[in-house]
Order: sequence, then structure tokens, then C-alpha cells
Amino acid sequence: MNAGRRRSVQQKLIGMVLVSTMAAVLIAIAAMVLYDLRLYHTGWIADVTTQAELLGRTSGPALAFDDPRAARENLELLRYRSEVRAAAIYDAKGRLFASYAPAAGTQFPSLPEGDGVRVEGDNLILFKRVVGESEILGTVYLRTSYALYNRLYGYLGIGVAAGLLSLLVAYALSRRLQRGVTEPLRAIGAVARKVSHERDYALRVQKLTPDEIGDLADAFNAMLAEIERATAGLQASNRELEREVRERGRAEGEVLRLNAELEQRVRERTAQLEYTNRELESFCYAVSHDLRSPLRAIDGFSQALLQDCAPQLPADGQRFLQRIHAATVRMGQLIEDLLTLSKVSRGELTKVEVDLSDLARHVGADLAQREPGREVEVMVWEDMRPEADPRLLRAALENLIGNAWKFTSKAEHARIEIGCLRDGRRATYFVRDNGVGFDMAYADKLFGAFQRLHSESEFSGTGIGLATVQRIVHRHGGRIWADAAPGKGATFFFTLAPEVDASRERDAVAA
Amino acid sequence: MAAVIARLALWTALCLALPAPWTQAVAQATDIQVKAAFLYKFGAFVEWPQQTFAEPGTAFTIGVLGADAVAAELEQISAGRNVHGRPIAVRRLKRGDLVSGLHVLFVGQGEAARLAEVLRAAKAQPLLVVTDAADGLPEGSVINFVPVENKLRFDIAVATAERMQLRISSRLLAVARKVVPG
Repeated sequence: MNAGRRRSVQQKLIGMVLVSTMAAVLIAIAAMVLYDLRLYHTGWIADVTTQAELLGRTSGPALAFDDPRAARENLELLRYRSEVRAAAIYDAKGRLFASYAPAAGTQFPSLPEGDGVRVEGDNLILFKRVVGESEILGTVYLRTSYALYNRLYGYLGIGVAAGLLSLLVAYALSRRLQRGVTEPLRAIGAVARKVSHERDYALRVQKLTPDEIGDLADAFNAMLAEIERATAGLQASNRELEREVRERGRAEGEVLRLNAELEQRVRERTAQLEYTNRELESFCYAVSHDLRSPLRAIDGFSQALLQDCAPQLPADGQRFLQRIHAATVRMGQLIEDLLTLSKVSRGELTKVEVDLSDLARHVGADLAQREPGREVEVMVWEDMRPEADPRLLRAALENLIGNAWKFTSKAEHARIEIGCLRDGRRATYFVRDNGVGFDMAYADKLFGAFQRLHSESEFSGTGIGLATVQRIVHRHGGRIWADAAPGKGATFFFTLAPEVDASRERDAVAA
Repeated sequence: MAAVIARLALWTALCLALPAPWTQAVAQATDIQVKAAFLYKFGAFVEWPQQTFAEPGTAFTIGVLGADAVAAELEQISAGRNVHGRPIAVRRLKRGDLVSGLHVLFVGQGEAARLAEVLRAAKAQPLLVVTDAADGLPEGSVINFVPVENKLRFDIAVATAERMQLRISSRLLAVARKVVPG
């Protein structure tokens, strides 16, 4: 867009007109000049040849009858032809017979040449034989001016003058006429610039001429109308989109706020619950702990009464004391279990690699020692080494294996199996027995404290064991569940690590 | 052309180098040659009536009376030349010979006195009579040779020519020394 180098359409049009005018004028002048010069050349040669022929005819008798005077008189007539610079007649033997020259000191060729015309500079030289009845009488020599170059220079002058004049006229005319082309173009250009600067698509070009430029203006206007329409549509849809985005943002903000509120509430509730739980647990622990000393007193004094005052007591009294003793033993057991449950919930969890197989065998051996009369086959799988707290794991196994031991007391061939099912990296441990089992309809009550599926008279127990086991498993992040049927034994499954998300597990395997 | 120049140079040299009687003889010789040349050249500028050339092959006949040197020269130069497209025949005439069939008759100085007699015999036919009279154009002669300043010129009697039914070209008249009308 360098203004200095840019040439406007106006200049181009004028340039085109000037160049074509100049070309036309030059070609026309050149053609005319060529034609004229050719005409001059041939005409002049014909003229001079005719002159020579005439001279030859009239001088024929003079030559024939050796009369140079008559020949000279004939030549003298050439004085009316100012173009003739020299004329001569040679006789048959080549001698100069008669001559004529308007200027003094004119040189003549010493010998004539054959018939011919030639141009030497600005001279036209012609030799023409004079032929009689049957012989050559002599030769006519003519030297005339040859103004071809003078004419050419004259024409060049005229050509330059005509060229300049036509250029001038063409320039003046085209300056006026080109406005009909450039004005509509300029109008379109001005509107186009204004549109691109101001983004005002409502502008229109005025159609000035009903030609191609007018069509261009129409097309431009149609384009502008199209752009205006499209822009309006685009703006409307943009506004709609913006509104939607705003609304969505607001809704999202609302959701986030609600979520945060909910989380806050959950945190608050959890904290409250944890606090209440801890309160309850410590209360439970304190109560259990404090209940032990009065119980010991009751037991101790009832024992003392039975040993020291047995003779004074009637049989009923002794039986009642026995029953008090049994109740205190059971209550002591209850308190121990409650304390265990509390301890399981409290205290630090220290995870190390534990040999579960070894632990299970020890528990089984302890039970066998406590009841030597029973025949129970305890089968423990080898090489089970989970990461767990050894103290808590031992408590859990004591409870589970103890339950199995207890509920197989009526079985003919009591059998307890402790094993492990591996599924990828997840290990699920189980304790299976072939005891009385239970109805799965009550499975949801299994792990609640003080929930019993069998009567005290049938199987002894406090109803706290499975609650303790569940608490231990939960503290390890694991899960516990049971599978059983009445009379067909029971199996308790548990895990000791948080269950890895299935997809995360797949990723780990792939890695 | 070179041969012509060489001959010219020779001629000039001879003229300058030879003693007076020799040059006179040479001058006489050239005079005869010029007269002979003129005689046959006249034919080209004169028109004869059609009947004088009865047959297509009829020769252009020049009669010479009383000028044997001219006749001899004429015989020599006319060989192979044409007048009006016809071959040239030269006839030497003696006193009393008929002039019928002639187109040109040259009467030499020796027979000038007998001119009238000769012309009477020729009266009936178109005949270009050429004379060599020193004292002007004789009666009945069409062309008479006149020496002027070492050159041979001639006078023409147009009226006589018309009587003889001859048409003489104006170009010939243009080179005549004198044209005598009537």
C-alpha cells in the first residue's frame, strides 16, 4: 500500500489509452510513410526512366547522324527539371557525345554503364541505352536528386508532432472519459473501506452505471446484505449462548455450594458421632472396669459363705450360692469380653507381617488343651502371612475358632478348616466348621453386640465375640461376612486390607 | 568496350602522327564511311507507301549512282543490318539503268548533272533521292548532304518528299541542317 508506488486504476486507464493511441498513431504514420516512400521511390524511378527514354528517343537521330548540337539542345530542355543534376549522352563507342549540367564543374562518368538505376546517397543515377532499328546508338546518362531521406526526415518530424498532439488530445479525452469507469469503482472502494473499518454492514454502494461495475456494486451490496444477516444471526446465537453459560455457571455454583454444605454437615455429624462413640466407649470401659471389683466381692463372699458356713446352710441355700457363683463367673466373662471389645476399639494399630497359620494352630492347641475330652480336627493352610496387628488378629482368631469349636460340639466328626482364597492380590481368609450352622435369614444380626442365634442353654457365650471380630476387621480396613445353613456348618470370610477398586487393580496389573 | 577504346586511341594516334596528305586521305575515307552510314540510317526515319514492298521478303534496296566508293562501303556495313525489318540490298547503277524497285537512290557528285534525267525516269515511284550537291538542294532531291565544319550534315526538302509519297519523321527533321518547305 505504498502510496508512492501504487498506481490507481485512473492512471492505468489513462496509461492504456495513451499507449494504445501512441501505438496506433505510430503504426498509422509508419504505414503511411512506408507507403509514400515506396510510392515516391517507384514513381521517381519511373519518372526518371521515362525522362531518359524520351531523351533517348529524341536523341536517337542526333546520334545516328552524328549531331551533338541537336543532342545538346535536347538535353538543354532539362533545365526546367530542377531535380536533374547532370545529364549526358554517350555515343555507340562510349564517347561523351553531349552533356548538360546546371552547376559548373559537374563531373561525368568517363564511360557509360549498361541499363540500370541505382541510388548513391541523395543521387539517383540512371543509364539507358538508345537503341535504333537494329543497333545500339548510344547511352543516356541521368543523375537526379533522390529526396527519399529528406522526405523520411520530414515525415519523422510530422510523425513526432502528430504523435505528441494525439497524445495530448488522448490524455485530455481519457481524463474526462475514464471518470465513467473510475468514479463507480472509487465509490465501491470507499464503501468497502468504511465497512471494514467500522464493521457497519448496513452500508450500501450506490449503483452509478448499468455495466459490469454496476453489477459489481449489486454483487457487493448483496454480499453486504448477506453478511449483515449472518452477523445478526451470529450475534443473537452468541447472546443466547452467553446467557446459557451464565445460567449453567450459576447452577454449578449452587451445586458446589450445596455439596460443600452437605460435606460440612457430614463432617460435623461424623465428628459428633465420633465424639459420642468415644464417650460411649470410655463410658463402657469405665463401667466394665468398675463393675469387676463389686463382682469380685460378691463372688468372694459367696465362696467364703459356701466354704465356711456350709454346715449351717440348708441344701437349698447351698444350691442358691452355687448359682450365684455361676452367675458371677458368667458376668465376669461378660465384663472381660466388653473390655476386650473396648480395647479393640481403642489403642494404636501396629501392622506387621503376621504368620496367621502359626497363630491359628496355637489357638487350636489352646482350645484342645482347655477341653481335652473333645476330638476336633483342626486343619490350617500353610503360609498365610497377612499384614496385621498381631494382638488384634489373635483376638479375632480366638473368637472365630472358639465359635467353631463351640458349635461343632454336637457334631460327630468335628472339623475346623482355616484357609485363604487368593484372587489376584486380594486375600480372603476363612474359618469353616461342620457345626450346627444357622439360618441365613438372620445373617444381618450376626455381628451385633449381644445378638445370639442360639440359646444360652444350648451353647454358652456372651454374644460379643463376633461384634469384636467385626470391629477388628473394620479397623484393618477389611470386610467380614458369613455363609451358612442350619445343620450344615458355617463359614466366616474376612479380609484384612481395604478392597482395591476393580479398575485401579486392572491398571496396576497392566502396569 | 576496351577494344573500342583501344581502336579510338589508335585512330587518334594515327591522325596526329601521319603527314598532311595522309590525313587528307583518311578524312576522305571517313567522309565516305559517314555518307554510307547515313544512307542506310535514313531508311529508319522515312515511311514508304505499302505497295513499294510488294512481298514480305522484299529487300530494302539502296541504289548508288556515280559513287562506287560509297557503294562499296555501304555493301560492307549493311551486311546483317535491317531497315524496317528487311535486309538491305545495295545496287550499283550505271548511266541509263532503271531505277524501278529502288527505295533509296544516292546520286554522287560525279553524276549530279544527270540528276534531272534520272529523276524523270523515277517520277512515277516513291523514291528517297539523296544527293551530294555542293550548290544547295537540286530540283527533285529530298535530302542533300552538306559538309559543315568537318561534319556531314544534310538539308531536307519536305515538299519533294510529299510529292514522292514519302513521310519523313519529325525526329529526322530535328537533326537536319535546314528543312526546305514547299
